[in-house]
Amino acid sequence: MGVAEVFTTFGDVYLRSLLSTWLMTAVCFAGGLALGILATVLRVSPIKPLRVAADVYVQLFRNIPTVSLLVIFVYALPYLGATLPYRACLLCCVILVVSSFASENFMSGINAIGVGQIEAARSVGLSFVQVIRLIVIPQSLRTTVLPMTNLLIATLLTTAMGSQVPLTPPELTGMVNYVNSRSVAGISAFVVSALCYAGTSVALGFLGNRLDERVRIIR
Amino acid sequence: MSADVSMRDALYEAPGPRTQRRVRVGTALSLALLAAFAAFVVRQFSVNGQLDPKYWSFFARWTTWRFLLQGFMGTIHVAFMAGVLAIMGGLLLMLGRISPNRPLSAICHVITDLFRSLPSLLLIYFFFLVVPTYGIRMPAFWMITLPIGLAASGVLAEVFRAGVNAVPTGQVEAAMSLGMTHGRITRRIVLPQALRIVIPSLVSQLVVVVKDTTVAYVVSYPDLMQNARVLISNYDALVSMYFVVAILYIIVNYATNQLSIHLAHRGGTQVLSRVDEKPV
Repeated sequence: MGVAEVFTTFGDVYLRSLLSTWLMTAVCFAGGLALGILATVLRVSPIKPLRVAADVYVQLFRNIPTVSLLVIFVYALPYLGATLPYRACLLCCVILVVSSFASENFMSGINAIGVGQIEAARSVGLSFVQVIRLIVIPQSLRTTVLPMTNLLIATLLTTAMGSQVPLTPPELTGMVNYVNSRSVAGISAFVVSALCYAGTSVALGFLGNRLDERVRIIR
Repeated sequence: MSADVSMRDALYEAPGPRTQRRVRVGTALSLALLAAFAAFVVRQFSVNGQLDPKYWSFFARWTTWRFLLQGFMGTIHVAFMAGVLAIMGGLLLMLGRISPNRPLSAICHVITDLFRSLPSLLLIYFFFLVVPTYGIRMPAFWMITLPIGLAASGVLAEVFRAGVNAVPTGQVEAAMSLGMTHGRITRRIVLPQALRIVIPSLVSQLVVVVKDTTVAYVVSYPDLMQNARVLISNYDALVSMYFVVAILYIIVNYATNQLSIHLAHRGGTQVLSRVDEKPV
């Protein structure tokens, strides 16, 4: 079966699969950013237990393999009184993992700001909230464009874990399995999925580079 | 971690009496909140009977740990071979990319970006589902090691290139003015320094490789996760086993990360991770 035949036979499933992969990537990235911001705020807060808890949170989800987290969500949580649909399990896992990396990116964005700037802001009488809002957040957002673009691409690749649980429609990696179990497609199914991933990554990378060039802070 | 302490502390001055009181209240509140969360987790375990000794007692047996250790050796085996493959592949791709030969450089660029933009699971499916349809039989070990190694080689090619770029250009110019050829400069001047710069980053990439090996059950290779699944069906203790395995992976990866940070501090370099690179 050639690539063209794969398209005519499975074209509509592939389209839905691509759209679902994009949607999951977007949801996970947005959720990961939101949680990552929360974790970062806690990590720089003056309250010690919150700092420690957020540090532990980041280390846990940075170092856990996504599969390991996914099996806990899918198979272990029902024994603990929480049964989630497969897609929700996948989204939660990817969001938790992405949020820890997002927080690491934000932290290095914050650390890239010179301590002198903060001292200057303080000496002109800005309050803590003003310092965060006017100095820290704008600069750390601008320096984290490239790392965040890479994180977005990594999020796209992490949604491939969805192939380990039954999803309808399957996402792009699961499609290889889906097509292979229904016909002898051989390499074609793989090539189509690979092109979708590579195309998406290149497009995201291009946009990220353009944005970075516009907002980068030359230090 | 030590680097961000100064920044964290610069964000606010020594608190006055009122703020100190607020911080104390916040500390107490947050401690209570965290304790409540921990209590909730323990309660969920206990009301669902998951604290029953039958789910945990087999962890006191040496045979359990020996079997998990065997699985862990499998994980190490795959991670090590995939790491070696990735270092060789990454080095070749990088050397091809920086070579003055335009077509070779372009091809290596495309291959690097392709491997970087594919999930390793897709590559595993390629070797597991697609390759056998062409009549090629591979042992499970290579069906998991090859794709992980290939995926990592794309990332490592970029890490190596960052290392090469970190070598001062003045040195290359000096070597050129002495009449050294491109190959000789790369071999004698650039590579020895670049390799030293990227060692911490190579160690931190090992974490990604170890994480990738956890899907070895797809090809039924006996790694830590696969052996844990065997124990789960033996002892009918799913929850405890999955949590213990997750903690084992976290410890291994955390230790690897700390090692790479330590190496970077000692060598006066930085850990160049995936996030520091230009996206594809």
